[in-house]
Amino acid sequence: MEFYFGLAQTIGIHTLLGLSAYIILLTGQMSLAQAAFYAIGAYVSGMLTVLWGWHIVPAMFAGAALGAAAAAAVGFPALRVKGLMLVIATLAFGEGVRLFFFNFDYQVQKGNIKVGPLGGEGFRQIRYFPENGWTSDEVMLFVWVFVILVMAMIWWFDRSRYGSVLRAVGDDELAAQSVGINLTAVKVSAMAIGGAVAGLAGSLYAHYTTHIEHLAFGVLQSVFAIAYPIIGGLASVFGTLAAVIFVQGFLVEGLRFLGDWRNLLFGLLIIVAMVVRPNGFLDGQMLRNFKRWFGIRSRNA
Amino acid sequence: MFDFIQAVLDGILFGTIYSLIGIGFTLVFGVMHKINMAYAAASIGAAYIGLVSASAMKAASAWVVFGCSLVAGGVLGFLVYLICFHLIPLRNENATLMSTVGMLLLADELISHATTGAPQNYPATLEDVMFRFGEMSMRGDLVVVFGVSVVCTAALLLLLYRTRLGLATRAVAQQPIAAQLCGMRVAQVNTLTFVITGVLGGIAGALICSAVGSLSILLTGPLTVKGLIVTVIGGLGSVPGAIVAGLLVGGLENVFQHFRGVTERDMYVMLLLFAFLIFRPGGIFAKGQGRD
Amino acid sequence: MLELERVSRHFGGVRAVDGLDLKVRDGEIVGLIGPNGSGKSTTVNLVTGLFSLTSGQIRFRGQDIAPLPTHMRLQGGIARTFQNIRLFGQLTVWQNLWVAQNSPADRAKRGFFSRWLGGQSGVRDEIVSLLEFSGLAHKQDELASNLAFGEQRRLELARAMATKPKLLLLDEPAAGMNSEEIGQLRERILKLRERGLTILLVEHVMELVMGVTDRIAVLNFGQKIAEGTPAEIQKDAAVRKAYLGGDAAAAEGGS
Repeated sequence: MEFYFGLAQTIGIHTLLGLSAYIILLTGQMSLAQAAFYAIGAYVSGMLTVLWGWHIVPAMFAGAALGAAAAAAVGFPALRVKGLMLVIATLAFGEGVRLFFFNFDYQVQKGNIKVGPLGGEGFRQIRYFPENGWTSDEVMLFVWVFVILVMAMIWWFDRSRYGSVLRAVGDDELAAQSVGINLTAVKVSAMAIGGAVAGLAGSLYAHYTTHIEHLAFGVLQSVFAIAYPIIGGLASVFGTLAAVIFVQGFLVEGLRFLGDWRNLLFGLLIIVAMVVRPNGFLDGQMLRNFKRWFGIRSRNA
Repeated sequence: MFDFIQAVLDGILFGTIYSLIGIGFTLVFGVMHKINMAYAAASIGAAYIGLVSASAMKAASAWVVFGCSLVAGGVLGFLVYLICFHLIPLRNENATLMSTVGMLLLADELISHATTGAPQNYPATLEDVMFRFGEMSMRGDLVVVFGVSVVCTAALLLLLYRTRLGLATRAVAQQPIAAQLCGMRVAQVNTLTFVITGVLGGIAGALICSAVGSLSILLTGPLTVKGLIVTVIGGLGSVPGAIVAGLLVGGLENVFQHFRGVTERDMYVMLLLFAFLIFRPGGIFAKGQGRD
Repeated sequence: MLELERVSRHFGGVRAVDGLDLKVRDGEIVGLIGPNGSGKSTTVNLVTGLFSLTSGQIRFRGQDIAPLPTHMRLQGGIARTFQNIRLFGQLTVWQNLWVAQNSPADRAKRGFFSRWLGGQSGVRDEIVSLLEFSGLAHKQDELASNLAFGEQRRLELARAMATKPKLLLLDEPAAGMNSEEIGQLRERILKLRERGLTILLVEHVMELVMGVTDRIAVLNFGQKIAEGTPAEIQKDAAVRKAYLGGDAAAAEGGS
């Protein structure tokens, strides 16, 4: 049972990570810095609960807020550059943040041990859940409450005018400007929301694993983050969820007997997925088919 | 003070490798407006294939390894083009970028499986040779790195600016549709660009491995990031920019290392990139904004 | 309404627009014609802020708009359509109009409080009436990219209208249309004028320009070579030479 709880938590956290990239991708931007916002959320919330004894919920919101601030800070200069330049800028930012945590020491004596981030050693003993007597099913429930909340929020965004504006910018920036849409506001806000969601995911991750280190926040993690929505398709948040379940549930856990060769499959899967379905699994057409099968009518019909 | 100049000098010599990788990224961008994220990984892969095939031929000389890597690089470049660009609609930005990211991971994993994760010894070119000028010295192998890179860059520039193929490449880079209407086969030019950059990458991969002394999977990540930084600093699509930016990054990297140590070095390189993004987003040789 | 004063835009050595003076008064329909590459589209892009001015001044309702970014100019009451249609293909027809509602009045309606006080309802009614105006009501849930060419043109015009403009810049709206569609377009443009819009019409199709405009300005090599009523322009020798020259010669040769 523990195993499935663990898997469910991983799926939940990765869904959040994927959604953080999803909302940015809607505006046609590709960010390879999601792991950085994830790291910021993890370290900040971990330090707040471990070093300063905060309750987990405010600590998570602080992590999310800082993730959002960092994302907005990247978003502003990156707005001057377009498309592929943003990919590189965010990639470099992500590596910069990872290296920052690689060099980051802040230890405090607590009882008979020292706690806090210690450079390459990482940040151990983030034991908020065990110390407060949370059982593993409670932790899983806690994680999924946030996953469902965030998913519902982004799903709602997607149906609201804001979602259409994001997609309009993603479709054609020039035309979007020409109907009076403020590109800066839209792009930076999407980055900030993405940063907040990634920060939230990071704070859940830190408390669930209890030990974080810079290696967990490398480029690969960012690639995972954008791979979920791109493989899953940008038509709906459920595409991201489906991709996470497929990758984490089937590829990583289901094929455990393959050992190290699974990592190889991930790269291969991305390539095959892009060749077979360049718009992702759940693209616009697929979504309409689903709606027709289940008799869901669109809102304005 | 001499230490400092020495650091800059070594950095610039090593920076020529960054230039080579940067040229590879920038050429593909110039011609196709795409980034081939798998480029650096494929280059290291080519260096590995070069190493293996040279030892299969029982010829462990560094130069044979270089030759084999060069050929392997061209073949890998072609494969990457075929899989990641030829099979996927080019209009779809996300898909083409993502497929090269997939290729990066795949190449990474293939190398790590082939080498079982352990660093492989790589033959050095001029082992233990030092050139001395008074207080200064230059590591022989770095001089070779520099020399080979300069020769490759010169060959590439000749190819681009003195041959019909180069003319076609530049034409496609500037006006793909017009070039197509003039009867140029854009797909062919694209393929050739990948093969040429692949060859460059193979050489760069072999050079970096021989300069470091070993081939390891740990090289691909930093090389990808550095190569991309060089590309941005030089200006996307600008070959001269990539050359200068490679030397700049190589030199400054060693300066940062000199003053702040190896663990913090790369952090400052990232800051350098951000400084460029904010103050000169078009790169070193940016011109004014053109039409559209 | 709109005043261009010695407006220039150079691209390197090319003077795309060179010292252009142009006045569009309230409620007028002004035509801007000229051969290909004479600077018509560049002028539209200068007014909407996609290009920055090399020199000169642009005033909209008395205010210098040169320092304003594109979206501010558009929110301020300038709307445009594109020569090569640029719709949001991923969005439905309805959503295309929805995202264009960025006028100050609409923004106020979407404010936090009015959302809960039911201020939104007017916004929906406007979309419905725009859909009816452009004859797209039955296609409202269709993706914009799935529309036929003529429908896309109509949607683009409706989208420009959704920004509640005072000045409308139409960049070759009749390109690729047959004469029946051009007739409908003319009707629609005249209706827009009745609604109080001022229109700057950049066009090649003489049938349309001569039929709806009050005044026409002719560009050649970025400079204005003539200005006057449609009748005057048709007689103008310089215009015939620069613009109609080829056609006139061909017509004479054929007769």
